[in-house]
Amino acid sequence: MDVSLDRINKSFGAVQVLRDVDLMFPSRKFVTLLGPSGCGKTTLLRMIAGLEAVTSGTIRFGDRVVNDLAPRDRNIAMVFQSYALYPQMTVRRNLGYGLRVRKTPKGDIDTAVTRVARILEIDHLLDRKPAQLSGGQRQRVALGRAMVRQPDIFLMDEPLSNLDAKLRVTMRAELRRFHLDLNATTVYVTHDQLEAMTMSDLIAVMHGGIVQQFGTPAEVYGKPANLFVAGFIGSPPMNFITGTLASEGDRPAFSSPELTLPLAPGAAKGSPGRDIVLGVRPQDLTLVGEQEPASIRGRVWVVELLGSEKLVEVTIGERRRMTVQVRADTAVNVDDVVGVRVDPQRVHLFDAQSGAIFRVS
Amino acid sequence: MSKSEFWTLTRRLASYAVLCAVTFVVCFPLVWALSTSLKPKSEIFATPPTLIPRTVTLENYEALLTGRPQYFQSAGQQVSSGTTPAQFFTRWFVNSMIVTLGSTLISITVSTLAAYSLTRFRYWGRNVIPYFSLLGYMVPSIIFVFPLFLVMVQLDLTDSLLSLVLGYVCITLPFCMWLMWAFMRSIPIEIEEAALIDGASRVQVFTQVVLPTALPGIIAASIFSMIVSWNDYLFGRVFLNSLDNLTLTVGVMLFFEGTHVDWGLLMAASVLMTLPMAILFMALQRHLVAGFGAGAVKG
Repeated sequence: MDVSLDRINKSFGAVQVLRDVDLMFPSRKFVTLLGPSGCGKTTLLRMIAGLEAVTSGTIRFGDRVVNDLAPRDRNIAMVFQSYALYPQMTVRRNLGYGLRVRKTPKGDIDTAVTRVARILEIDHLLDRKPAQLSGGQRQRVALGRAMVRQPDIFLMDEPLSNLDAKLRVTMRAELRRFHLDLNATTVYVTHDQLEAMTMSDLIAVMHGGIVQQFGTPAEVYGKPANLFVAGFIGSPPMNFITGTLASEGDRPAFSSPELTLPLAPGAAKGSPGRDIVLGVRPQDLTLVGEQEPASIRGRVWVVELLGSEKLVEVTIGERRRMTVQVRADTAVNVDDVVGVRVDPQRVHLFDAQSGAIFRVS
Repeated sequence: MSKSEFWTLTRRLASYAVLCAVTFVVCFPLVWALSTSLKPKSEIFATPPTLIPRTVTLENYEALLTGRPQYFQSAGQQVSSGTTPAQFFTRWFVNSMIVTLGSTLISITVSTLAAYSLTRFRYWGRNVIPYFSLLGYMVPSIIFVFPLFLVMVQLDLTDSLLSLVLGYVCITLPFCMWLMWAFMRSIPIEIEEAALIDGASRVQVFTQVVLPTALPGIIAASIFSMIVSWNDYLFGRVFLNSLDNLTLTVGVMLFFEGTHVDWGLLMAASVLMTLPMAILFMALQRHLVAGFGAGAVKG
């Protein structure tokens, strides 16, 4: 079922936490609300769930306006960050609670509970209480409780944040797999950009109560709409250099004390002197030797080995540093003088004032 | 045996000795009461005294439970025309039960709802009310007795069990509310939200999710309230008059007011009085610890 959010605003007293949120989640897609803590993503999810009232704006499920519907009338399911299992009920009763309060016949409840427990591999835990389960097992029960009712919309509020790193990776793949099997629209909240990138069909990047960009993982990574998105998505984070727009012959160019870089030809006429920020990902930079032609020269400050790659931090200019990602077998040592090549095709330019992407062409 | 082993052993023996002594001091009156209640009159004052009765008799219990008048006559004003306290024992027992259960029921119902409101709804004073209520509990109950008695006179409730029920609610409610408040605060709101999404109504959320989760707290508060009401003497003494309406604690005192004290009967009454609370305690002590524990951490 589609979920559309139309000019949603939310205030708690004088504090406005969401501003004019316009989003449309297509049916059966895995959509992630991604942003740092306090960006309003959880509040937005709770409004979709009906746990928080909308200050202004319209929420629709399909064609139906749900603003004033109670949570139980929305046919949604939600997985909470804390799992929120009913402590006094066994796993079996936790899983079946939603069906019991909806007066489903007992036989059907048993069938549904058994089916979900088998899928999630928790069928041996059915008679235990939540206190007797490990974190990963509780996580599965919370997931099972949401799955058992076959909801139209599946809401998840940072469900993996309480798990250890290894389990998180496993669960990421499983959640993605369950989403495909469930045929429901999934709205997933996280502050972890890696989770968002690996699991989502669509990502809404949020900051300060405003949706900064809404697009596929490839779009938000490859064509960030503004400085915030560019800096938030991608690990290691993008390098930024502040400078001005200049011209070199008939071509526009980026100019700063550390770097002068000719840009794509025939662009940005009539706006030289404007303050802009150049962003380039560590993966898009090339490290070369001291003698080879390069865009910037600098001294290696630190080298971090990640396994298959190395991150090389290079000091350029007075106090600036740039991160360059190279293959692990690249020979580079601290205090080497190196050159860094910047490919003009792989840079992102942003307006220094507004932070918005600066379209050169 | 090495030196450290010797000291470990000594320490352990010493602590057991202390524990045994304390246990003896606490248990001896109970054991003595039980022993005396099972002795025939001739043996109660025997020298040397016997801890284990030579002859076991149930005549004291029989007298109390069947209400058979004993041979002693009362000189007290309230006990006249051939009546003896033993005749009223079962009546008083029932009165105590009514008052205890009634006041506990009201206290628990009100304090649970109040605690839920204080922890879940937003209004002015929601954070200070529990502490003020605890303060109310710290005032000795004797201070409340006479003002409350005057209120009961106004309400025309004196010498009724209802007056006692209301009186006990007044002294148990503040602490029960504080305890329930501390307990409710530890229940995460997410489980209620999860139930709402699962399809439960507000009432179902409260009865099926909140109450069962709060059960240890409810049990702890109930035990507290029952002990206070069951054991109270002061309120009963002031509020009640007629023999028919007395509670056990006040009634049993009448055993002293005769020309001589029938110790066997008195001890049997004491044992029977202790029994309900002892059974309750043993059955629910696990929950009691859990309940007070939760309060201690969160309060």
